[in-house]
Amino acid sequence: MADPALRLQALVKRFGAHAAVDGVDLAVALGEFVTLLGPSGCGKTTTLNLIAGFLAPDSGFIALNGRLVQDLPPFKRDLGMVFQDYALFPHMSVADNVAFGLKMRGVSREETATRVAEALSLVKLDGFDARRPNQLSGGQRQRVALARALVIRPAMLLLDEPLSNLDLKLREEMRGEISALQRRLGIATVFVTHDQDEALTMSDRIAVMSEGRIEQIGTPAEIYERPATRFVASFIGSINIVPAKVAEVPVNGFARLETPAGPAIAHVGSASSGRSVMLTIRPERLKLAEAGGAPAGAVAWSARVVRVVYTGARLEVQLRLADGSEAVAEATNDGRTSLGEGQGIVAWFRPEDAWIIAGA
Amino acid sequence: MRSGPWILLKLVVGVIYVFILGPILITAAVAFNESNRSYFPPRGFSLKWWGEAFAPQWVQPLMFSLELAALTAVVATAIGVPLAFAFQRYEFPGKTLVRTITLGPLILPTLVTGIALLQFLTVIGLGRWLGYWALLIGHVIICLPFSVRTIAISLQAMPGSVENAAAGLGAGPLAVLRYVTFPIIVPGIFAGMAFAFIHSFTDINMSLFIAKPGQRPVTVAIMSFLDFGFAPTLAALSILSLAIPLVLVALLGRFVGIGNFLYQEQGRG
Repeated sequence: MADPALRLQALVKRFGAHAAVDGVDLAVALGEFVTLLGPSGCGKTTTLNLIAGFLAPDSGFIALNGRLVQDLPPFKRDLGMVFQDYALFPHMSVADNVAFGLKMRGVSREETATRVAEALSLVKLDGFDARRPNQLSGGQRQRVALARALVIRPAMLLLDEPLSNLDLKLREEMRGEISALQRRLGIATVFVTHDQDEALTMSDRIAVMSEGRIEQIGTPAEIYERPATRFVASFIGSINIVPAKVAEVPVNGFARLETPAGPAIAHVGSASSGRSVMLTIRPERLKLAEAGGAPAGAVAWSARVVRVVYTGARLEVQLRLADGSEAVAEATNDGRTSLGEGQGIVAWFRPEDAWIIAGA
Repeated sequence: MRSGPWILLKLVVGVIYVFILGPILITAAVAFNESNRSYFPPRGFSLKWWGEAFAPQWVQPLMFSLELAALTAVVATAIGVPLAFAFQRYEFPGKTLVRTITLGPLILPTLVTGIALLQFLTVIGLGRWLGYWALLIGHVIICLPFSVRTIAISLQAMPGSVENAAAGLGAGPLAVLRYVTFPIIVPGIFAGMAFAFIHSFTDINMSLFIAKPGQRPVTVAIMSFLDFGFAPTLAALSILSLAIPLVLVALLGRFVGIGNFLYQEQGRG
């Protein structure tokens, strides 16, 4: 089997007594788009800087295409990186910015001109050659940074929160463009972000990080629908978490539970053992019905409507369960739902939509 | 914005301008007096005092000052660049002490620094250095803080990611310095050089103690001449000495852009 584009093994980086990266293992396949997702301070940017070589690890290995690089300086690693602030050279024109990596590699003048033009055309900036970075909008700077990183045909692409300085509309546009470009070039990419929407929409796989470790790595669907830990469950999207006790030995991957809100059956999920667990259910999988209206086989709990938040396409219904704890259900705004505050109701879900994680 | 505080601010700024520009304009006008008296408004019109100001008696100290200031600026910059890098980029034992000593002349009265240098050179037996070399040393000491600070600020204002970006694109440490760091801080270096030049050119406190007769900067020469009273020649000379730094700053502003020597993102954000 071919070596992965990137392999991190037992990577550790300490700042003083604090381990910013605390034993990270990760493999990025050729052409794969992997996102490091987590809150600020989780070690995702430090990990990226270790890959790029701007920081040296205290221990562990970094291999690019099977070659160990943890002792190489950044300029020998052959990576294309886009920085959060774009880091364009302010004293150079757009063309010179893009040409910089080629100049450092001693590429001939003619070839440089061709490749710079190609790269600028790739990011739809034809004709911007002579502009200075300070004459460009945020989105255009972003594209220049991308062209500058790609023109050297790097072994892989590193993106450090490249969208966080753009306004919402542009961010969504660039999201799609970067994804499309990455797929077209088939370049292995590590993308750092704290934005779960970016992670979910752009990635082949997401590595959710917390306190210097990877909590879970998987496809967006796996991360969202089968969270391994409470941190992953609550960091991505919103989720209802109900403490529960396992009442019977699980059969066929499903467990019978006792919860303060009522008995339940749920997918065993990532809880491997133990009696105290957490039942998780996404708001959009928690349905509402009138008393006795839940379908057969569903878990039904009685609840009371606390508040209905209108968000346009959807209604966010805040509920109080039998034990007094709160839960949220998200309903499609079909125009026929009439829910009043204080109204008694049944909240139901299918066992396969509920997922059990290990207890806190 | 026609509220009270706003009008008051405009008034204060106006008064400040009057007090800056008024004396200069009066001095310039005085230089055109017919007789050797400093009347204002000038009586009669004559260019003879301007001619007088170009007599060897004055041209010599003027040239001396220019040469000294230029050499001081070059030396202060040559020392200032590595010092600024050291202060900005590296941790080393005694850093705070070295920095305090380097920037010290900013807060010490130059008079004191001047006397101290005079004493020091005499005590260590380098009294024969008094004159040109001592002047150069003294001026470098008092001008160094200006170049170090300006260069340090432009280094500090440059985002670290720019250098990382260059390194990531395959530039070794020397190439990063040559193609990225240095070009970005060049306006700061020139600004520091200009500050050093102007500070040296306008200094009198240091020069008073260390200059030897016959090797006097123009400030000291003007000072000595003032013992005989103010004269239109001095007025002409003052305007000349004023014009030199102004022209320098204007030229640098035009060609190097020291006006915005700080790394800043201009225009659209």
